[in-house]
Amino acid sequence: MSREEKRWERCDEGSSKKQVPHRAFSPVRNDRSEWVRIMKCEWVRENIVLHVYGELADDARHELEQHVARCSDCAAELKSEQEFHALLSQTPVIEPSPNLLAASRMRLQEALETAEQGRWWHRLAFDPAAWLRQVNFSPALASAILIVGFAGGIGATYKYAGLRIENSGIASIANPASTAPNDASVTGISSITQVPGSNQIDIKYNTMATQDAQGSLNDQKIQQLLLFAARNNFNSGVRMDSVDLLTQKPNDVQVRDALLYALQNDTNPGIRLKSLGALGTYVKSDVRVRDAVLAALVNDACPGVRTEALHLIEPVKADGSVRGVLMALAAKDQNQYIRTQSRSMLAQLPEID
Amino acid sequence: MAGQERRIDDTMLIREAQRGNHAAFEELVRNYDQAVLRLAMHLTGNETEAQDVYQDAFLKAYKNIGSFRFECSFYTWIYRIVTNLCLDHLRKKNVRKEDAPVAADGDGGEYSLLDQVPDGRAGANPERDLMRRELGKRIHGALEKLTPRERMVFELKHYHGLKLRTVGEILHTTEETAKNTLFRATQKLRGALGEMR
Repeated sequence: MSREEKRWERCDEGSSKKQVPHRAFSPVRNDRSEWVRIMKCEWVRENIVLHVYGELADDARHELEQHVARCSDCAAELKSEQEFHALLSQTPVIEPSPNLLAASRMRLQEALETAEQGRWWHRLAFDPAAWLRQVNFSPALASAILIVGFAGGIGATYKYAGLRIENSGIASIANPASTAPNDASVTGISSITQVPGSNQIDIKYNTMATQDAQGSLNDQKIQQLLLFAARNNFNSGVRMDSVDLLTQKPNDVQVRDALLYALQNDTNPGIRLKSLGALGTYVKSDVRVRDAVLAALVNDACPGVRTEALHLIEPVKADGSVRGVLMALAAKDQNQYIRTQSRSMLAQLPEID
Repeated sequence: MAGQERRIDDTMLIREAQRGNHAAFEELVRNYDQAVLRLAMHLTGNETEAQDVYQDAFLKAYKNIGSFRFECSFYTWIYRIVTNLCLDHLRKKNVRKEDAPVAADGDGGEYSLLDQVPDGRAGANPERDLMRRELGKRIHGALEKLTPRERMVFELKHYHGLKLRTVGEILHTTEETAKNTLFRATQKLRGALGEMR
């Protein structure tokens, strides 16, 4: 059996499983080589689409190209498929507008505020099929569950009284009268106010019920709550208050991280602007700040934030990456002010040989 | 390498989101929401419905992030949720048979999304622009005639450039079935748009 016949046999096996419509074939002549050639044409035509989309394996692609080079009918078919592909590509995918994306994000944020994540018992109750499937395919897991269940039953019978004592101990450890809040226990910050004429800050935050923490900006608990509010709060007014206070301590690494996060991710342009202002002094000494300011200059949807970012990169305008960004903005930015300012900043730079 | 880094980042964000960290989930959303909105817009042909799909998809992801077991990438998982929502939408739409894709303007009026396709080619002129829009409408009409599953495979492959193996994973099927579906879809489209070439 020739190589081509073997190849076709493979293809035929594969295509017999497919639902691809085959053309009716009735050999006119009993010439075996002609039969093989025509069947090869069938295979090629079924795979031309995959070839055009770059989805053929190397050996199949090589074989298809070899055949097309020899067969004018298949070459015409390939050309036709490529033209069709080009025709479809004339209508590109419509990119969502920045406004639509921003509106969608805000709507989602509001919905997430009231949404709750499913708990493990929820999944167990509502998706028992998945658990059964898992157990079905994991005999070891099934055995382990059986053994644990059996041991648990025996334990419960003989050690009921002992367990009660232990459980009460665990409950007292899990619910200590600790005053330090942690991210897991805080569900949200409801308000932040600074006592006028002092460095005292009053933060109302929620765990299961609203709680109140008071202290100065140097107080670790207050700092933790402010950092939490800057990243996690759905109320933009509270985020603004927290970022506003955090801007007083931009030299703290955690605070600077939170400000960078707000600059890059906050949906409120006022908060982004405030973070930008606080980070500005570090644009020369901290490369992360420089890159974040550059990203805001290029990508931020708010012209005010972009303009502020442009002013802030003034001290590092000679850096290679900054110069590259300025050149791109000077050439084709949609905002006329940014374009003009970028040109003017570039003009002040010495020429590079 | 970049893909691997993204996957590591995603893993950390998912674990944080599973612990109830809203910010981590928001970051995951921001990594993928533009692609999700683009897919929803193209499949629904309507900005309002695309926003609904976007909203439902990420809310569903948020509620079920706890059951994410890292058996596939987050990308595949969120695309699976979106494609299921879009398939439901397309099936309903096939019953209703709606018109051309529309968006709402600031005054509440509607305009065709196909008219918004930018023409970045040099030398574009009004006549060519008109022909391009006509072509867009014809292609949209031909896509509407595909079955929801054919449409989905074609969209993911042609317009979003995903590998058929990934398309198969997203649609809970094999790469081979995705290949056959793509073949059928292109045959139908060629039949419907044959006279335009």
